[in-house]
Amino acid sequence: MEMFDCNVCLGLPYAPSVPPDAYIEKAEDLLDRMAFCGINQALVRHIAMEEESPVVGNQLLIREIASFDRLEPSWAILPPQTGELGTPDELVARMKTDGVRALWAFPSKHHYLLTGTTFGGLFEIMIQRRIPLFVSAKERSNGIEGFAMIEALLRDFPKLVLVATDHGCWGEDRLFRPLIERYEHFYIDTSRYELAGGIRDFCDRYGPHRMLFGTGFPEIPMGGAFLTLLHAEISDQAKAAVFGGNLQRLLREVRL
Amino acid sequence: MRNPSALAKEFRKYGKAASCPIIDMHGHFGPYQGIYFPADTAEAMMRIMDRAGVRMIVCSSHTALVDTRRGNPEMAEVVAKYPDRFRAYWALNPNYPDRMKEEIEAYPEQKGFVGFKFLSDYHKVAITDDRYGPALEFAQEHRMMILMHTWGNSPYDGPALIEEVAKRYPEVTILMGHSGYGEWDRAIGVARDYPKVYLELTAAYHANGVIEEMVQGAGSHKMLFGTDMPWFTPHYGIGCVLCAAITDEDRHNILHRNAETLLRLRGVNLEEDDG
Ligand SMILES: [Zn+2]
Repeated sequence: MEMFDCNVCLGLPYAPSVPPDAYIEKAEDLLDRMAFCGINQALVRHIAMEEESPVVGNQLLIREIASFDRLEPSWAILPPQTGELGTPDELVARMKTDGVRALWAFPSKHHYLLTGTTFGGLFEIMIQRRIPLFVSAKERSNGIEGFAMIEALLRDFPKLVLVATDHGCWGEDRLFRPLIERYEHFYIDTSRYELAGGIRDFCDRYGPHRMLFGTGFPEIPMGGAFLTLLHAEISDQAKAAVFGGNLQRLLREVRL
Repeated sequence: MRNPSALAKEFRKYGKAASCPIIDMHGHFGPYQGIYFPADTAEAMMRIMDRAGVRMIVCSSHTALVDTRRGNPEMAEVVAKYPDRFRAYWALNPNYPDRMKEEIEAYPEQKGFVGFKFLSDYHKVAITDDRYGPALEFAQEHRMMILMHTWGNSPYDGPALIEEVAKRYPEVTILMGHSGYGEWDRAIGVARDYPKVYLELTAAYHANGVIEEMVQGAGSHKMLFGTDMPWFTPHYGIGCVLCAAITDEDRHNILHRNAETLLRLRGVNLEEDDG
């Protein structure tokens, strides 16, 4: 079974929220840690993409993981109006060159509105090319946060492939399940889905194709989400879909 | 590099380990306000416990946190029905001192309970407040165990306040539920400095690197496993313990041995069941 983690970050943050030793700076060390836990592959971002700037971090990530084909790169977006990452077409052209098939939005730290006014042009291109957008459910934009922010985005762009990561562990099914039912291109990751019986209950109701395996490393240890999914009470086929099949399909469908 | 832990291999293959019959020292029961639970009945919880090799769980019902008079008897019924799998904490609410006094007096008659449960952050009464006095004095006199909800920097149950209580009531065994979540160093220090204070891991396990700091700072003999089930699945916490950079000896201490010692001291028979 391919265990493909959709939620991993490389690099050292300037203000660690867990003991500093928990963070990993080098790609080879990340691969070691993944092997230690039994994870084969990861969609990776670099902390500099969020904490410094996508202008720096996107390229830093490519340099860091270029020689490791088990690490799949993802980039952060910025409003096209300031031109820092070029026009949407230029961004997509660079994604093609560097083999990037997924994008992240960090509206809180990057100080922009995650709305159609800002990103309409880019999102239309992402929809056409089926490029998935990853956004943490902890983010905030336009005065709203979490799933309220995500729903506002999905209402305007229902065909955007959108993956919400890091939903809290303190009970968010009542928040995200309505969005799963309404928006067919909406996915959640499993990094904080600690709910007893949660994966089984979710998959019984919605099938296994709306959930992606993610660990939330390095703030969260890899082992928790891993063992939870490995022994979730769902079929092996369903498990394979959540563990890697769904993410592989999403990335395969991207046309650059 | 593969995880060399024999326990990790066994859990990975079977979801449980015969040599490691887990005891969950922090459970609940029944529905609660802000969360949807797919598995909050005793039967649904046992099904999940079986899949993860959890031999026993010690719970306070959510109802008891809201209304002790309805909730504590509800938990007694669960223990009476499944005595091999459940034990309970007798929940107290200091906002109703007369009621609390009656419930403390009634405690010795109860079967299946292994201590008190305090939820100071939710009841909005500081653990050092006089209203907790009668319960703490009773616990001191009877050398009882208390599971206290503890949270970093809380004005009600932060680790600094737990330290005051531990100093005043040295005979009380204090389980710091959630290990003073977020204020890790302070909580670890209290567990290190006070012989009867333990770090209980519910939710704390998901802070990467913290299990290692606890083992180094307080020692694995001062740590206990818990899940808040039906909130969290045991496999999540177990997975975090298995991938932490500690030894299998530490893992056995955390996942069952320390709890076995505490429960045996309180009359729980753990001999015949092989887990
Ligand atoms: Zn609890």
